[in-house]
Amino acid sequence: MIFNAIRLLQNVGVLSMNRRNAEYIMRCNPRSSFPLVDDKLATKRLAEAHQIPTPSLYHVIEYHGDMAKLKMALGEEREFVVKPARGAGGSGIVLITDRTEEGFVKQNGEKISWKDLTYHISGILSGIYSLEGLEDRALFEALVRPHPVFSAVTFHGVPDIRIVVYRGVPVMGMARLPTQASDGKANLHRGAIGVGIDMVQGITFAAVHHSRIVTHHPDTGNPVGGLRVPYWENMLQMAAEAVDMTGLGYLGVDMVIDCERGPLLLELNARPGLQIQIANQAGLRRRLELVDKAPPDIFTTLETRIAWAQQTFATSDS
Amino acid sequence: MKRPALLLAVALLLLSSALISYRILSLKYPILPAAPEKVWRFSIEARVLGGEKETTVMIGVPYPHKGQIIAEERIRSGILGFNLLREGINQVGVWFGTLPSEGETIGYSATIQVRPPRPTKTKAPTPPLGPYPPNVGKEEQALARRLVAKWDRFPPEEQLRRITAAVKGIWRTPSPDDRDLQAWSDLHDKHGRLTAFLVLLRAADLPARVVQGLQLTEGITNSPLTWIEIWTDQGWESLQPEKGEIYQKPAPLLPLTMNGLPAVRVTNGELSEIRWTLNREIISQWHMHFERMMRSNRFLDRWSLFRLPPEFQRTFRILILVPIGALMICVLRNLVGFPTFGIFMPVLMALAFRNTGLAYGIGIFAGVVLIGYVVRRWINKLRLLLVPRLSVILTLVITFFTVFALIGNKVGLRELMAVGLLPFVILTMTIERFFVIMEEAGGREALWIAAGSAAVATITHEIIHFEPLQLTFFVYPELLFVVAAVQVLLGRYTGYRLSEFIRFRKLRSPS
Repeated sequence: MIFNAIRLLQNVGVLSMNRRNAEYIMRCNPRSSFPLVDDKLATKRLAEAHQIPTPSLYHVIEYHGDMAKLKMALGEEREFVVKPARGAGGSGIVLITDRTEEGFVKQNGEKISWKDLTYHISGILSGIYSLEGLEDRALFEALVRPHPVFSAVTFHGVPDIRIVVYRGVPVMGMARLPTQASDGKANLHRGAIGVGIDMVQGITFAAVHHSRIVTHHPDTGNPVGGLRVPYWENMLQMAAEAVDMTGLGYLGVDMVIDCERGPLLLELNARPGLQIQIANQAGLRRRLELVDKAPPDIFTTLETRIAWAQQTFATSDS
Repeated sequence: MKRPALLLAVALLLLSSALISYRILSLKYPILPAAPEKVWRFSIEARVLGGEKETTVMIGVPYPHKGQIIAEERIRSGILGFNLLREGINQVGVWFGTLPSEGETIGYSATIQVRPPRPTKTKAPTPPLGPYPPNVGKEEQALARRLVAKWDRFPPEEQLRRITAAVKGIWRTPSPDDRDLQAWSDLHDKHGRLTAFLVLLRAADLPARVVQGLQLTEGITNSPLTWIEIWTDQGWESLQPEKGEIYQKPAPLLPLTMNGLPAVRVTNGELSEIRWTLNREIISQWHMHFERMMRSNRFLDRWSLFRLPPEFQRTFRILILVPIGALMICVLRNLVGFPTFGIFMPVLMALAFRNTGLAYGIGIFAGVVLIGYVVRRWINKLRLLLVPRLSVILTLVITFFTVFALIGNKVGLRELMAVGLLPFVILTMTIERFFVIMEEAGGREALWIAAGSAAVATITHEIIHFEPLQLTFFVYPELLFVVAAVQVLLGRYTGYRLSEFIRFRKLRSPS
């Protein structure tokens, strides 16, 4: 029975957690480069140096003592995002959409007082959300106004696009749509849904919600398939470029589409999850092995890599 | 990529098996140190009365050889001095000193493992022939030679059988003439049956020796048994002279003194009482090797864990099994895909349950985490920073411990008082982790992980307290390399986890 189950998964080329860790992350991602992707501020600075657009940075708080300056730094800004620089899996991120007399309004409509916000920030600084429990910094960024393409299938929050890139070749993509359960966050393990994207045209199809395949958004009830992701070619390029700048071999690139600025690089993930396979109804391992077997000349330029990926992954499976 | 890990694992396995085989083959370690072994508990007790001069008591004691292992020797000598001497093939305990008027009790005890000798291919050399028994005259010797001469052509066993029968009075044809028969009868009456046997055996050129010892049966006796051992081509045969019977091999006998030496000799004194006791006992095999190893000068014996002071040995017996607990966690996380709180938390829990016992340990742990969780929820409103907040929870945990200990003292439950040895830092972190998982993933997930952690802790607890395993690892610490080898192999397991069959069930494809 087990052997049968193994065979069925191998037929699709499903990438397992153990293989991802041992064969791809440990082999392709040198530990020394991890700080570039684990620290969102470092990623942002690197991206700026490479002319990759990111959400504008308003302010950084590094020490508890700097909290006093926050009021001034934020000025009259009514919308912004607070996030820990080293947070993982979307934890510690708060989206502020408005201000009130006493404080702010979160994207889900809840009110949050100044006191609550500073408590949250001090939590970030102490390292509650940080990967290794290290002291952290709190980033204040512009709130992205998402492109309307996903507005019918998003419950609050900001949807984003994840593209997995291996050796500079984009191999799989998905849109991550927040739900009520995910509290506006686009992380699948929090209850967001992941929608597979066709590599050639950027059109969405199947979706995964908590490891189940769904066709409609659980909160809005709208179908998630058949949406054409704008700037798809640009995003494939951005993803490949972002990976080039870090020197890492296997990355998940998270981007958002701002309705004014277009695609923005949000963060890089050195340990991208495996749910993307369910969303795409396709195994990652098969695609990664195809990249390894690809003729060496496709790796010469960004364009050849993307062209090869689109051509190969359009036909190789579903 | 896969090769170096595989090589390392194989190297570790080889290293381990090489060390184990060396210990078993060269140092004669037991293969299953914890396996039960039937042994004899041997003891001599005697009361010595003496005169004014120095008294010496010499008593034959079992000596170690291929067929038997002697261990746990204990001597009782009171005010007397004691020495263990080799006298030829014999081992003799010598008690000496001037005795008080009321006398002194002396004793010797040991554990003996009798091992049936393995059939050896190489023939042992025939021992040299001894002289005729003393006070047997030349004529008597000539008579004996005449009597056995006609059996010359038989093999030694047959000769022995015929001699045995003859001493009992059965002369096969051709029977000796009446004169010789009469002379033989006189010799037998004059010297006794034992000497009669020895004379005939010597005349037939069969090496023989007189042995004193005990019958290998449970019981108490106050006089040792005397028998004759005769060398035939099949090795030593044992002959009961009084009954004229040859014992079946292996003979149920425990030799104490050989070559005619009496089992007990006393000068300047007397034994008012002496008794030999033999009891059957079942002990673990390792017991028998322990003392031998402690005296050994071989490198691995000297560097054995048994050389540690006993109080540290206890710690290491447990500690040496902890890697198996870690291996369990590797299996659970990388093969099954089941999460636990913290990586090694269940192992530390299992270690801590040693003092409280499993049921109390898990109960207390669950109780503390649950109350801790409630308090942690409430503390959340206070907005304490991380480190002070964890400190508060730690203080809370210690408070619980104190209360538990006080309650335990009141109701007389030791297990509750032993709570102080639970790992409070682990408990503190578990409360925090439990809270975070409750908040982020929900109660079901948190309870699921908690149950998994408790299950691993229970299994690990059972493993590290399984005595035969403890003993086996303690005797063969190189088994740790085997554990490491499996860990290395698991580290290179890149296949699916059990949980992934469920996670990716929608992706299964028959094509």
